[in-house]
Amino acid sequence: MTKSKKGTASSAPGRTYEEAYGFSPNEGRKPYSPDADSTALALHGVDHTARPTWKLKETIEFYRDVLKLPLIHCISARGWGPPGHHDFLHFFFDSGNGSTIAFFYYIGADMPEKYRPEPHHFFAATHTAWRAENEDELIAWKEALERRGVSVSSYTRHEVLESIYFVDPNGYPLEISLRLRDIETLDSKDAALTLEAALVAEQEALKSGAVVQSIDEVWRQKARLVEKRYFQDA
Amino acid sequence: MMVRIYVLNVPEFLPLVDAARLIDHAEVKNGEYYFRIDARDELVFERKAMKMKPAVWYGAFTGGLDGEIVEFGRDTVRVVSTKQ
Repeated sequence: MTKSKKGTASSAPGRTYEEAYGFSPNEGRKPYSPDADSTALALHGVDHTARPTWKLKETIEFYRDVLKLPLIHCISARGWGPPGHHDFLHFFFDSGNGSTIAFFYYIGADMPEKYRPEPHHFFAATHTAWRAENEDELIAWKEALERRGVSVSSYTRHEVLESIYFVDPNGYPLEISLRLRDIETLDSKDAALTLEAALVAEQEALKSGAVVQSIDEVWRQKARLVEKRYFQDA
Repeated sequence: MMVRIYVLNVPEFLPLVDAARLIDHAEVKNGEYYFRIDARDELVFERKAMKMKPAVWYGAFTGGLDGEIVEFGRDTVRVVSTKQ
């Protein structure tokens, strides 16, 4: 299979962001066509996730010296592509299993106010969670980070994960989590039903011009779906 | 008037099933992936008695709920039947 030239980023000056990157934001786009192509596709874990930083020194010191993640790659380049792109550094820290966490540092750029971290769950929703392999590792991370001066949450047990939380010098939330058990067939079946119930609840609310106000509405729809699929029809 | 909840058959939610089995007016039915718990008038669960962590406790009814939650505190949840 050969790469199509179409869609590669261009350094031609004077282009818009969309033209330079070859894709458009979703607003106003036509509907997806999920069945238009039946190619079997696969992903193989995370290569990298990236975020901007306005704290170069603190970020390097935190990831390299406190977390001790190996710095494995750094791009330094003139701004290119979309108009107004700053010169930049793009650097990557190894976070295990072939994955990296990456940062962009834009030379000479001030941080716009809207990128300032907020103490709010909407902001914290975008976070990175790394995997610990066993309980001893999770404990080792918590205790070592605390000794190195990082403020770390207590252990939090979710349904299938036990996690610790902390933030980096940019205010980005980080998590280290331990899988408490294997994910089984029934977990994915249950997940599908929960989301189906949520969509039904949204539709029902919309009929009276309202929105879903409480998770109880989703749970009631879920009860109907579970009853029908696993008790009435069983 | 009945209250009914569904509990996914996974370790983290099984304390709900174990607790329901000790309630006189509750009946537990075992389905393929879910337990169905029926109770007359109301169901009450105590978090600490079930040794359930808050992050699981506050999702206790994710399996499905046919009733009204009239109290959902950090340690006690009470569900009553929906008025027909």
